Formats: sequence, structure tokens, C-alpha cells
Amino acid sequence: MKEDTKAKKEVRVMTKEKVDIQEMFSVPEADLSVAGQSIVRTDARQKVTGALKFCGDFAVDGYLHGKILRSPHPHALIKSIDTKKAESMPGVVAVLTAEDVPGRNGFGPIIPDQPVICGDKVRFVGDGVALVAAETELAAQQALEHIKVEYEILPAVFDPLEALEQDAPQIHEGGNLLSKNKLRKGDVEKGFAEADVVIQRVYRVPFLDHAYMEPDVVLAVPQPDGTMLVEGPMQAPFTTRRNINEVLGVPINKVRVRQVTMGGGFGGKEDSPIDLGCRAAVLARHTGKPVRLALEREEVMLQTCKRHPMVMHVKIGAKNDGTLMAFEGVIYDEQGAYASLGPLIPPAGGSHVHSMVMMPGPYEIPNAKVDAYLCYTNHPYGGAMRGFGAPQVHIAHEQAIDELAEKLGISPLDIRRINGFRLGSATATGQVLDQSVGLQDTLEACAEAFNWDQKYKETGFIDESKTKRKGIGVGMGWYRTSIGISGDGCGANVHVHEDGSVLLFTGITEMGQGSYTVLPQICAEELGVNLEDIKYVVPDTDIVPESGPTVGSRSTTVAGNAIIMAAKQVKESILDAASEMLNVPVDRLESRNRLIFDRDNPVVSILFQDAAMKCYKTGRRLIGQGWWTPPKSSLDPETGQGSPYHVYTFSTHMAETIVDIETGEVEITDFVAAFDIGRAINPKLVEGQIEGGVAMGLGYALMENVVIEKGYIQNLGLENYLIPTSLDVPNIKSIILEVKNKYGPYGAKGIGEMPNIPATPAILNAIANTCGARVRSLPADPEGVFWALREAGEQSE
Amino acid sequence: MDYVELSFKLNDQDISIEVLPDALLVDVIRENVGLTGTKIGCRAGECGACTILLDGVPVNACLLPALKATGCSVVTIEGLAKGDEQLDVIQESFMNEGAVQCGFCTPGMIMNAKDLLNREPDPSEHDIKHAISGVLCRCTGYNKIVHAIKTASQAKK
Repeated sequence: MKEDTKAKKEVRVMTKEKVDIQEMFSVPEADLSVAGQSIVRTDARQKVTGALKFCGDFAVDGYLHGKILRSPHPHALIKSIDTKKAESMPGVVAVLTAEDVPGRNGFGPIIPDQPVICGDKVRFVGDGVALVAAETELAAQQALEHIKVEYEILPAVFDPLEALEQDAPQIHEGGNLLSKNKLRKGDVEKGFAEADVVIQRVYRVPFLDHAYMEPDVVLAVPQPDGTMLVEGPMQAPFTTRRNINEVLGVPINKVRVRQVTMGGGFGGKEDSPIDLGCRAAVLARHTGKPVRLALEREEVMLQTCKRHPMVMHVKIGAKNDGTLMAFEGVIYDEQGAYASLGPLIPPAGGSHVHSMVMMPGPYEIPNAKVDAYLCYTNHPYGGAMRGFGAPQVHIAHEQAIDELAEKLGISPLDIRRINGFRLGSATATGQVLDQSVGLQDTLEACAEAFNWDQKYKETGFIDESKTKRKGIGVGMGWYRTSIGISGDGCGANVHVHEDGSVLLFTGITEMGQGSYTVLPQICAEELGVNLEDIKYVVPDTDIVPESGPTVGSRSTTVAGNAIIMAAKQVKESILDAASEMLNVPVDRLESRNRLIFDRDNPVVSILFQDAAMKCYKTGRRLIGQGWWTPPKSSLDPETGQGSPYHVYTFSTHMAETIVDIETGEVEITDFVAAFDIGRAINPKLVEGQIEGGVAMGLGYALMENVVIEKGYIQNLGLENYLIPTSLDVPNIKSIILEVKNKYGPYGAKGIGEMPNIPATPAILNAIANTCGARVRSLPADPEGVFWALREAGEQSE
Repeated sequence: MDYVELSFKLNDQDISIEVLPDALLVDVIRENVGLTGTKIGCRAGECGACTILLDGVPVNACLLPALKATGCSVVTIEGLAKGDEQLDVIQESFMNEGAVQCGFCTPGMIMNAKDLLNREPDPSEHDIKHAISGVLCRCTGYNKIVHAIKTASQAKK
């Protein structure tokens, strides 16, 4: 009892005001005791001891091993396949071709245009033409070498612009133009006519690989009742399930998809588990045995999706005072062989339309026009990668605005101060930003922490021999929370037990970002218990409610709201029981840190678990169910006008670089990144997202590039596909600002993708400021910088 | 190929098992012994997720023929904690400083940190960055890992 009294004194007493539906998730700062805290992540201990098992760590005694025979050609007809010899090899259990697919021979998150096993045609080097299951991995691998495939090689196309030409080889029946999207605001011709300065530029970005550290692996295990269980690291268990059920030709409830902790995803594991899951399930169905399908690193790079490459044309004009008058953009967005996450899901889903919406940048521009073409080619396919089409266009608009500012003689910060979004600004799609707009705050906070004004004066040579120069650059950015489709709902269930312990069910998966910590924090906060009282049930489509995919920086906000709704439902029972026990009206009760007390007289209290027991014994409901759908998305298909995404995260990054003008080598010596994320539910995890995102943006700027020659990837391993190491990444100073989002749990917005977006152009702008080299075709590796330096030299001569 | 006997010390325990002559140490540790804390990210010695200590020296176990470990002492991530309760100070520090995200590189990072702090109890930031430069991490941007190792070195004093 003495302990209870002590606990009561520590409780902060506060009044929750009645709020309308829009503000139901936002509460005053002082109210929070679990959310908003940098609590150590719940899976940290298992991860530092090596106890946590990834999918590749599962014992698979009795499993068959799957392998995929891949096309050696970028574009070819399959004339014949002879599997006889492979089938007769020792240990080989099955060799499957297209006719063995029981249901739909196609998968894909949006359009099922990728064959599970190609029947008549291959469209990229890496397309699957046969599947093997064998008793050992080695036997499966050896069997591949004995499948004879006769191909008729077709002309191939490797460039999005060439793909649009009339006589280009046709990759799919509907033609090579997968999607064309338009944005029209005001009158750009008039806008350019009224502008004093207009520039036109072209920016190019290559394919990027996610390079998550854990290679893909799935397990497919047929169950006695006819259900197919598929396990693996997945960002989108429900999308995976609805592909597998079609491919097997069974109802959705006959496929069970179970998530296994992911060793990094970054968007890539939205797609790849669909691919592997369908193929493993077909092998398991055919053999009646459990099948493990695991990819080696080179296979991951060969087979799985990439970040879309783009050619981006930008025309931008401003008045002499810096006011932007018009923006015109054209995007040639290379989809590669299959649709993946490129095409439109109305009204504003799919990476391509997202690129279009984001292209004019976080700036108020009265006249804007974007034409965006999404083209099939015979390259690997583009999918989701941290930013979903936004990192590419940020590289264009952030460089263009710097180039424009230079022409105008205005500082890079001032042109952003003049034109950057503020509360009440209208975007290029005509969306009025009526809440949670902290872009300008991020600029000012970043500039102060970076000491921009001082550094801006100190650019130039730093050594006697005049080989090294120092300079600085800025990049601004915005990113949506949620995915802009009408079906972006998310469910959550909360089960409170009679001892006060809690099970939390959602389909949001853990890929390293910390959802198994942040979502329980929200649940604990709302119920008034501690984090350790919540057990997060690992997503399993037989058990958890539909939650949509773990993408689009949506989880904390969308699932967080659903969790709050579910928790409120149970809390109603708990407070009702507590009211009876304490003889205090419900509206005076507060639940916090496992204690329920009278707000007016905190000494009057009971333990949360006693109220839960009372509920159990009196038959009160202890199960809560929440469902949250973001405000309706809109985007007119003809004009690209509307409100595609309900809220945006904003950010400004600043980088200091040293460039060796003889070698083109770039070193980043200082970096500050400021964000308006509405509310940080776990600030330390937010910092982790920021630091990791900046590092990824650095890789995009300086080194990453999937080199493809005539359809063949030249750098299939991590020895040739370079990503940043500890020696490449500078110390990153993170600044978290909280301009509350009225639609977010405790005001939160998304953070997962934003950090890698402005980092890239901030670095590119810094290189330009440092040495005059404007790298418009990425990466800015030493060779890229060297050529850009030479181009700059020629221009100045 | 015929199986041959491999004897070595793994996390202070004597191990004697039959392996194929071309078996790699990482596969022996993970599959024959069943310790899966050591990860495989590339099988090419590039990602460092499979780092173990071989007679105290960090080695990519994916490149090492298992028989090379004959008579040696091998320490994996499972060998750092004392019992179930007492974690190594580096493990504690990785937890508390937020140095873990997806966790796939974590064992390799910690093994390299262990080697560093064995050699250099008071490492500079550059020492730390250099020591872990052979382990790739795609999640953290390394900042919190460097900080965690620094913190662990201070806690050890």
C-alpha cells in the first residue's frame, strides 16, 4: 500500500478536454508518459545477443530447396523447354514450367504482369523460366544447369525514351507506355513570359539497389487442412497473400502469411516476398512438401526490384526578386520489365504519380505543368525504395532552384524562404496546406545549427597547394504520410487480459524501423499501462486485422490511430469497472502507469490490473477493435489537381563538403538535418531513421549506381555495388521539430522515408558551391565530379 | 568427398565434428552447431555480418575454410554474454544507445567492436570508424554504432 501512495504522488494530474473527431488524437504535451519517450527498443536485447532468428536462421530439416532458372536474355521468346534430364537427377523432386502454375500465372502488387514462370516470353535478364525443388540446395542448383531452353532472341529496348518510339520493340501487349500522368496548374506559358529569369536543365538518375543486409528468403509449408503457410521477411503480408491465393487458385483464407523479422527492407521487401512467396508456394503445392526458397546476394540484385531511374527535364522561372512564376517538368520514368509499384492506383497511389505530384517541390508556384511518362524497358524493374519516386524529383527541383538562385544572385536560403511552403500555401496540385506546415521552421533551425551564414562566407580553397576546396549546400524536401489510395485503411486489435497484460495485433511489420516498439508505446499510452505490459503479436494474416502494407511512412500515424481507437474501446470497460470499484464518476478517472485514479483526488485509486480483473469477472468487454482510414485522397486524372495525401513531413538538410579538384573526390565534413515530424513518439528511434536515411541519401549522391550494359547488370555484388561505410558517413546532427498534425497520434507524422530525400540534393548543391561542378547525372563519384568540373571550366573560359 | 574431423574451441566449449573438407566456417557454426547469431549477407567477405573472432582476431567466417579453425578458439556473438543475464558492456551499450535497427549487421559490428576494445581500450572516433569499416550497415548511418562503442569503452574504465 505504501508503494501505491508513492506512485500516486508521481502521477501528473491533468484534464483532458473533450475534442472533436479531427483532434481526437492530439493531446497536450504534459499528458504523455510512454509515448514521446526514447525507450530502448523491445527487440534490442534479442538482436545484440544473436538470439533473434531471421528467416534464414530457421532450421529446415525435411524441407525441399527451391531454385529459379533465370533468363540469360533481356528479351526473347521461349521456343521450347526440356526438363527431362534435370528431373532425373538425384535429389530432384520437381522441375516446374509455366503450365504447372495452378492458378493465375502472374503476380505484382498493382498489375499481375510478371509471370510466376515465364511461358512464352522473357522480358529481362533474371526472369524466371523454370522452378526446381530438390532435397539439397546443391542438387537444385545443379539441376538448373540441365534444363534446356531454346530461345528466339528479340530486339530489346533499354531506354525509356527509345521505348516510346513507334518502332520500338513491344515488351508487353499493351505497348511500352505503362502510364502517362499530367499536372496542370495555372498557365505556365504566361508564367514564363512574366518571369525575368528562366532556366532549363536535364537531370538523370540511375537504378539503385536497396542493398538491405538480409538476402531474401521465404518458406512455404503446406498445412494439413489445405492452407498454404508462407513465412518470410515482408513489408506487405496482405498484398503477398492476395497474390499467392490467385496464383494457387484458392480463396484468400486458404493462404496464411506470417511475417518474420526483417533484416532491412527500404521498400524492396514490399515486392520481393510476392515474387518469392508465389514461387515457393507453387513448388510446395506441387510437391506437397515444405519448401525453402532463398536467394544469394547476387540473385537478390539480379532478380528483385530497384529504385526507378529517371530522366527529368526542368524549366523554372522567377521574377528578379526571387518569386517563382512557373515550373514545367517532364519525367521519363523507367519502369523496366514489369509494372511492380509504378502504375496508378487511383486516385494518387503508385510511385509514378507520386513523382509527378512531388516534382515541383515544396514551393508555392502559381503556374505548374508536369508530364510524366512511365515506360516499360527490358531492364530490371523499378519498385518502392525509401521515398517512392520522391528522391529522384527532389534531385531535380532542389538543384534547379539552386541553379536559378545563382542566376538571380539570390542566396540558396533566401530563394527557399521566399517560395517555400508555409501554413496556408497551395501546392502544385492546388492542395491548401491548412495544418502542420513546419518547412520554414526546419530551414531556420537547420541554418542556425549548421552556422550557415558564417560557413557561406568561408567557402574556397583550404590548402596551400590549391587542390582542395570547401563549400556548403542545402536541400529542402517534403514527403507524404500514407499512400494516397482510397483503400488505405488500417486495423488494430487490443486484447486486455485479467492480469492487466495486453496483446496488440496489427499487420504492421518490423524491418528495423522500430514499429514493434513505437506502436506498443502508443497502445500503452492510451490504456495507461507500461510498455512492458504490451506484447506485440507478430503479424500473421490468420490472426491480425488487415492493416495494409508497411510503407509510405504510414505505420506510426495510420496504425497508431487505429490502436488508439481500439484501446479506447477497452478502456471504456476498464474505467466503467474502476468507477464502480472507486465510486468515482467515469469522467473523473484517469489511467496512467498502471494506475487508475480520481483526477480530483489522486489518492483514490486502484491498479489497472484490478480493474481488468473486475471486467473479466463481470463480463465486461476486454477486446477493442480499431479501424482508421486517412482523410479522402483526391487527384483529377486530367489536371493532376486535388489533395492526394492528407499530410506532409517537411525537412531541410545542410551539408559541408571538401572536394579534391584534381581527383574529383568528395568528403562530407558536416551535416545537419532538421525535420517537422509532428510528434516524435520515440525520439531516439526517430534519430535512427534520420541518420540512416541521410547515409542512404549520401550513397545516392556519391556512389550508388546499378551499372547495366545491354540488359546485364555489371555489379551484382556488394564488392562492386558500393554503399556507404562507416568511413563515408559524417557525424549527423538531427533536429526534430514538432508542428502537430491534427490527424496523427499525439500529433505524429511519418519519418521513415523523408530523411534520405533532401540529403542527396543537399550534397550535390554543396559540391556545386564548393568547386563549381554541377553534377546533373548521378552519381557524383570522382569521375562524375571530374567531368562536371571540366564542363564548369569550359563554361567559365 | 569424405568427411573429416574438425576440432576447435567454440565459445569456450570443445567441439569435435565431422565436416566436408570444403565446408566454410560460417556454415559449420550455423548449420552443424546451430548457432545462428552469425549472419550471412553476401558470402563474399564484403558485408562483414559473419564476423567472428578466431584466436581473438576478427575474421569473415564466410571466407574461412572450417578446417583452418582446427585447434583454434572461435568466439561468436553468442559467446559474449556471461550466462543469460550479464551482457557484455558492448551489447549493453548497443541496446541503450540505439545502435540497433534491423539487427542483421549487429553481431558483426559487435564482434569487431570487441576486437577493437581488446586492442585499444580508449579508441578515438577514427579508430572506431576504421575498426567497423568492414561491416556494412544500411539502417543506422553508423553514427549511433560509433557512439555506442565509444560509450562502451568509457564504461569499461
